Amino acid sequence: MSLESQELDELKSKIGRDPTSTELQIVAAEWSEHCSYKSSKRHLKMLPMTGPLVITEKGYDSGVLDVGDGYVVTAHIESHNHPSAVEPYGGAATGVGGVIRDILSTGTRPIALLDGLRFGDIEKDKQAKWLFKNAVRGISAYGNCLGIPTIGGEVEFDECYKNYALVDVAAVGFGKKENLIKNHAQKGDVVVLLGGATGRDGIGGSQFASDSLESEDRSAIQIPDPFIEKLIIEAILEARTQKLIHAMKDLGGGGLSCAVSETAESLGIGIEMDVNKVHTRESDMHSDEIMISESQERMLIVTNLEKLEKLKIICKKFRIEYSVIGHVTFDNLMHVKKGEETIAKISTDIVTNATLLDLPSKKPVYLETIEHEKDFPQIDDYSETLLKLLSSPNIASKIWVYGQYDHEVGIRTVIKPGADASVLRLDNGKFLSVKIDGNPKHCYINPREGAIGCFEEACRNVVCTGAKPIGMLDHLQFGNPKDPEIFWTFLESLKGLTDFAKDFDIPCVGGKVSLYNETPLGSIKPTPVIGVLGLIDKHPQISQKISVDDCLVIVGDTKNELGGSEYFEYIHKFIGDKCPVVTFDESKKNMQSILEIIENKLVKSVHDCSKGGLAVAVSELCMTNNIGCSVFLNKVPGESLPVDKILFSESHSRYLLSVEKNNLDDLKTILEKNYTSFEIIGNFGGNSILFSNDSKPVIDLMVDKTQKTWLNSLEGLIMHA
Amino acid sequence: MATFNVNVTIENKPGISDPEGETILNDLVLRGNYESVSKIKSAKMLRFTIEENSRESAQLKVQEICDEVRIYNPLVSKVTFDIFDA
Amino acid sequence: MKVGVVVFPGSNCDRDMFHVLTDVFHLDAQYYWHDKGLPENIDAVILPGGFSYGDRLRAGVIAAHSPVIKDVQKMSEKGIPILGVCNGFQILVESGLLPGVLLKNDSLNFMCEWTNLIVENNETPFTNQFELNQKIPIPIANGEGKYFADDETLKNLKKNNQIVFRYGDVVNGSSNRIAGVCNEDGNVVGMMPHPERAVESEINPIDNKPSSLIFESLLVKMGVKN
Repeated sequence: MSLESQELDELKSKIGRDPTSTELQIVAAEWSEHCSYKSSKRHLKMLPMTGPLVITEKGYDSGVLDVGDGYVVTAHIESHNHPSAVEPYGGAATGVGGVIRDILSTGTRPIALLDGLRFGDIEKDKQAKWLFKNAVRGISAYGNCLGIPTIGGEVEFDECYKNYALVDVAAVGFGKKENLIKNHAQKGDVVVLLGGATGRDGIGGSQFASDSLESEDRSAIQIPDPFIEKLIIEAILEARTQKLIHAMKDLGGGGLSCAVSETAESLGIGIEMDVNKVHTRESDMHSDEIMISESQERMLIVTNLEKLEKLKIICKKFRIEYSVIGHVTFDNLMHVKKGEETIAKISTDIVTNATLLDLPSKKPVYLETIEHEKDFPQIDDYSETLLKLLSSPNIASKIWVYGQYDHEVGIRTVIKPGADASVLRLDNGKFLSVKIDGNPKHCYINPREGAIGCFEEACRNVVCTGAKPIGMLDHLQFGNPKDPEIFWTFLESLKGLTDFAKDFDIPCVGGKVSLYNETPLGSIKPTPVIGVLGLIDKHPQISQKISVDDCLVIVGDTKNELGGSEYFEYIHKFIGDKCPVVTFDESKKNMQSILEIIENKLVKSVHDCSKGGLAVAVSELCMTNNIGCSVFLNKVPGESLPVDKILFSESHSRYLLSVEKNNLDDLKTILEKNYTSFEIIGNFGGNSILFSNDSKPVIDLMVDKTQKTWLNSLEGLIMHA
Repeated sequence: MATFNVNVTIENKPGISDPEGETILNDLVLRGNYESVSKIKSAKMLRFTIEENSRESAQLKVQEICDEVRIYNPLVSKVTFDIFDA
Repeated sequence: MKVGVVVFPGSNCDRDMFHVLTDVFHLDAQYYWHDKGLPENIDAVILPGGFSYGDRLRAGVIAAHSPVIKDVQKMSEKGIPILGVCNGFQILVESGLLPGVLLKNDSLNFMCEWTNLIVENNETPFTNQFELNQKIPIPIANGEGKYFADDETLKNLKKNNQIVFRYGDVVNGSSNRIAGVCNEDGNVVGMMPHPERAVESEINPIDNKPSSLIFESLLVKMGVKN
């Protein structure tokens, strides 16, 4: 582990001497990009992070939202990109472990997981297939063993992730407000390390995430142990209930170095610890190794001696190892000893306050021309095009993935994976709707509008279940920030998200920044992944079976913005044209109308339009309801467009409603009252997915055959091809 | 040419944790009061039946196959070979 | 009338089961940690699902050596109703209280999906309220749910009416599509699917009434209900 030369000079000048080797390791870990956020922190402040439902606590890694009746929901998102690209099973699994411990450290029980997986082109790239298959296995093995349902997520493939992996894991927790851990420390308190033994795992890991993936580093491997994590969950929650915890932090990137320094700094205290007291897996570990090891499944707890005795009993019951590694002081120093010898003594303020960088940014040249409009000659058979899209890896059913995740454990999952958003029942009669969405294709073409689009899409998805968005998680994944063009895209995305969040009053309650995501081919496309949490007061919108003669209504305009669409990129292999833009007013009106319509029980189902546009959204409705539909493209509201653009444009703020005829009038009243653009564009019945334009047939696909292709395509690609 | 059986044992490299072996030791064997057991290492064994000229070439060939098709992940595991006449 | 829910290190579905027993069926239930015994006056025992000991070595094998299993064995001999769900089934099989073995699913993957069970034996404490061949929509979630028994054992199971549930479709390659069995005395039942996940209409998208009969049967057996 090393510091850049000017950082080393800075450290020397701050402490007035040369650092010891241990001090160097501690600072190098904490000043790494992954732990310090030095490239992004200055700018992240622009995001709105407060609101009437937001609860802020000292030292928390997860966001907290008040959901009423004395209950809170916690949420966090993490990534484990570098480790997963090298060893996908362990990398993805330990990613789950890390985010779960962040939830746990607030004192709430983790109740759900979501995963966002991105890899290279699995149709051509064997390695991408291998990475994907094993990342899914890793998440499945870890989440299932913990008994925490993986309720949703997304899977996407793009050439920009060749030889790489983006593995995002989000977690949600639930509990009583009164049980939230109020991090504090008192005189005489001790510092306890609890959980797995410390070994040589991941040494260099967090610093590793700040370098590019140029050489495979064995020590980045982290072996997952979900069994011990499960025991830790139960032990910690029992300790919390018995009020034995003064402060708690999970160990993640940078290991003890970061956990100890950050805990001390956030509590305004100092910590004196002895590496000899740390329970280790190997007998010959060097002190520096102990300080930066990233062995998994470890928690740091601050408590007093009396409560420690009760904590020990709990640890014994759950057969968890622990060691009392130090005690609290009030000198604001991080004091690390090896027996009697002091090997590090440095102000926590210096350790945890890396100089924030003010990186230059420059608009990338390619962005000047990439949004020029493109038209393609009409295709002969759009039926074939649609079928191709429905079987393409990005659009095909992901049932092969979520069928491997136990999504029912905990008996809270009311709306299961495969719908627009997943919904959990809470203990106070309310429901929580959650979705994560990303779209690197859009974000590459227009970083600002693309990022806003991801945010709006996640909101649309929770709105489809009848939920009002109450909080957002942002995961900002970009390439090398020292490249001014890349940094410009990061800033644009961040500003876009900020504008949307402010306008819609949806605070950012948590998130992560993951930089230096580069492959030997260059930087990944900008990949912000946005999670939205929505709250439903009474009844979620559960899809009812669509029947013959039910009507198809579209809410929202379809526009000429095919940039980054699956149609342009997968079918025409073209990157360019205008990226879909969210019109804030239209978006708000549409969301409001949908929520009102749902509250008045006027629809059988609500489904949003996203990847693949109207054509794919209608097909999904038909396939999941085993019923055909006749759609009249000439009725679709919006700009006047050629047939292919109406079918496949990925314009935002659009919803498909399936409505019983006798509810149409009440529906129209609400939509008209809100000045919402809408139109009845089709009716259900028969066995085929039919699109026509001015009475000319455009698409004719049999529902059952199409459904079979859509359901089996991904599995076929992974298991057989 | 002769037929050989090559047992390929795949286990985690030293220094990399082995939760399975540890649990079996601590929660099963030691609970049964077999205190003379100090360690259990978990591993996977694949037996290749192969036609080669000699034991040495049989081992070399199986090693080559294991590396080429990624029978084991060299970042996490190491392999050892035991060769027998079939 | 007291029902004991046994909890092992790594059990996951204990809290789900407890909720169903107490909040849905209003029984008096209590958790029992694996390293202690069970009280004498217990009326039914449930071994819930999960990943006891992380499923290390073989699912259920380490838990089968827990101190509590001795008491479960005594209860089984006394004729007390005992239900093992998923990992609980695996533990009962590994401890010799139920015949057969549970292997990795044919797909080699963990499978979480809704399926149908068919009732083959309606005389156990958990099936006395069913009609024979009644269908139960119920979810499965397991990686090692493939029931296997050799031909001799299968013959005996059929002869003694020990097959309690079958899958309606081919699901994971189980011999004769067996999803649940009972002991010769018919008081110990093991099943792979999760009834506690199917009894509430809020989370059962198909029909929660059939799976509720599993618990209604227990209520009848325990004399809580007629």
